Amino acid sequence: MDWRRFLFILLIIAILFGVVVLIGKAQVSPLVIIMSMLATTLMVATPLTLGALSGVFCENAAVINIGIEGMMLAAAFFGWLAAIYMNSIFHYPTMPSLIVGVIVAVLVGGLLGLLLAVLSVTFKVDQIIGGTVINILAVGITGYLNRQLFFEKGSIFHGNVPHAPGVLPTLHIPVPEALSAVCNLLPSPQGCLEFANALGKVFDQRPIAIIAIVLVFVSHYVLFYTRWGLRTRAVGEHPRAADTVGISVEKVRYANVIIGGLLAGLAGAYFTIESVPSFEPLMTNGRGFISLAAMIFGNWTPIGAWTAALIFGAAQAMQINLQFFRELIPPQWAFLQISYIVGLAPYILTMIILTGIVGKTIPPAADGQPYEK
Amino acid sequence: MKKLYLLFVTALIAAMLLPACAPSGGAPDCTKEEVFCVGLVTDVGKIDDKSFNQSAWEGVKKAEEELGAYVQYIETTDSKDYDKNIATFADAGYDVIVTVGFGLGEATIAAADKYPDIYFIGVDQFQETERPNLAGLIFPEDQAGFLVGALAAMMTKTGKIGAVLGTDVVPPVWRFGEGYRAGAQYINPDIEVFVVYHNDVGFDKTFTDPEWGSQTAISMIDKGADVIFGAGGKTGNGAIIAAAEKGVYAIGVDTDQYYTVPEAAPRLLSSAMKMITPGVFELIKMAKEGNFPGGNYLGKAGYAPYHDLENEVPDDVKAKMEEIYQALLDGSLETGVPPAKPAE
Repeated sequence: MDWRRFLFILLIIAILFGVVVLIGKAQVSPLVIIMSMLATTLMVATPLTLGALSGVFCENAAVINIGIEGMMLAAAFFGWLAAIYMNSIFHYPTMPSLIVGVIVAVLVGGLLGLLLAVLSVTFKVDQIIGGTVINILAVGITGYLNRQLFFEKGSIFHGNVPHAPGVLPTLHIPVPEALSAVCNLLPSPQGCLEFANALGKVFDQRPIAIIAIVLVFVSHYVLFYTRWGLRTRAVGEHPRAADTVGISVEKVRYANVIIGGLLAGLAGAYFTIESVPSFEPLMTNGRGFISLAAMIFGNWTPIGAWTAALIFGAAQAMQINLQFFRELIPPQWAFLQISYIVGLAPYILTMIILTGIVGKTIPPAADGQPYEK
Repeated sequence: MKKLYLLFVTALIAAMLLPACAPSGGAPDCTKEEVFCVGLVTDVGKIDDKSFNQSAWEGVKKAEEELGAYVQYIETTDSKDYDKNIATFADAGYDVIVTVGFGLGEATIAAADKYPDIYFIGVDQFQETERPNLAGLIFPEDQAGFLVGALAAMMTKTGKIGAVLGTDVVPPVWRFGEGYRAGAQYINPDIEVFVVYHNDVGFDKTFTDPEWGSQTAISMIDKGADVIFGAGGKTGNGAIIAAAEKGVYAIGVDTDQYYTVPEAAPRLLSSAMKMITPGVFELIKMAKEGNFPGGNYLGKAGYAPYHDLENEVPDDVKAKMEEIYQALLDGSLETGVPPAKPAE
């Protein structure tokens, strides 16, 4: 991750936050706005971060995965379904049902990863086509089963969508408490305590959001500091060289694509088990593709991809927050009152970013090429 | 083998015919003058959905008890069957046909033109042009919003309340939102009301995006809002679930959502209700008495019981709510919300 790109990302996030603070500060204190936006940003960025990590693993092993979207959608559906089955058919309590839901979601993602690996590594199908197959498959199968299982006569739930066991509970990381303890040592703790209090919202996150951030750093370590990572990158950059020194290109690719699938599956669990307890057809709504954009902008590195995912999170946070303060928007900025213009922000940012405005991104050299012995 | 195949096809065709002959067996002859028959066609969904369909059906059941009507319903399983299901009742000589939901609007208008001797009641179907035998039962959503807005303003401790809604392009949604704002400001002119519409996406998504509803509600709560009103299908449900999760008050919409969104039930303060049951019953009664009003018929708004929070709501708040409700009902209090969003 070169520093110029980092700076650019920080700048964009600062602008997005700054606009809202400037408009909203008449009503809500800037500190509260920033912290609340930060909390929203982290929450919204969760599936994008995991999706981008999925891409990072696949593409560093030279398999393009445009099926992330489909993997997420299928995982969201089956994870939710598993949680419902556990809870309302087998009468397990809430938490075990939810955990089973997450596990099933992750496994479904992994299974689709395996499918992509079979298609692209073993059968050397064009990888774009392989990914498209997964996307179409996921849309069809979730839409069909959603209808058949819940809305048809004679289905096990008798036409009523049963109530999901709920969502994963919010975890509180006691950083603000620790900070307020430090604050109380200061001569005038007032401002410091206020800051610690506002910070509380940022550290109230749900488990998958926290796991996603941890996984960013784990992935970074794995890819750049372990033998596994070195082999993965070797297979992605120069598979023949890797093959010559005795690395099984096929095995490494299989493993990485399946890992990518598992990560996309966890992203899917975010939608139906962590965010809301319900499934809607097409609910991933293009987030898989935005993940890919984040991965490219992050130059195929985990930390880069994460920061790029944060931009999209921040754009979404701006969109929600600007609507709160709609009445406060000055007339010369009236265009910001039109919510679809603001709603376009994440997508416009994606396009601007992908034009390579800051430095060229360099994909793994063998990215997208099947390996022929 | 060929015979078996033929048998199979015959059985298949017979099976396809089955849903069409739902109202049969022991039924009186509705074509007779003295027999008063009322049929109800649901939108895609069940008669016991604890929501629109069920509320309308309860109105029909009331007509059975009080007017001695013979009543029957057909559950629609596919939106392509709207016409067919309405025609099933019409051809059996039913006197009144109730169709539930915005989705059946066009099918109901077509049927009203085709069967001029049958009265049609379209729940939540706004009528552009008046037909003598078709009444669209619509509701003053602004009053329902006003009621819960006032309740929210009385129950908030932070002086900040929020509303998460579907798109304001749909007039009822806009009336809910602005009614809520007006009601809150009626109680406390200085209250801060965050009203956010999900306008940034297409029509296909605005009512089915619980994730956005949840994120928006959490963002409001982070800024100090401690009552969240969710109105906009699943988007709104996402908001009230998130509110309940965060431990603040949630307010539902349309019907008593205590029963439809159990995840939010422990923190559900009330719901902004459309009183479908009495509206349907009144229209059926008028049809029987021969003074059926064509065009639009304005039903009543209301608010749902406090349920689990009965003890948390102070008595003076309850009294004030009843007072506002009566004042809205008799017209001495107006919400001041126009029927549709003024052009910008």
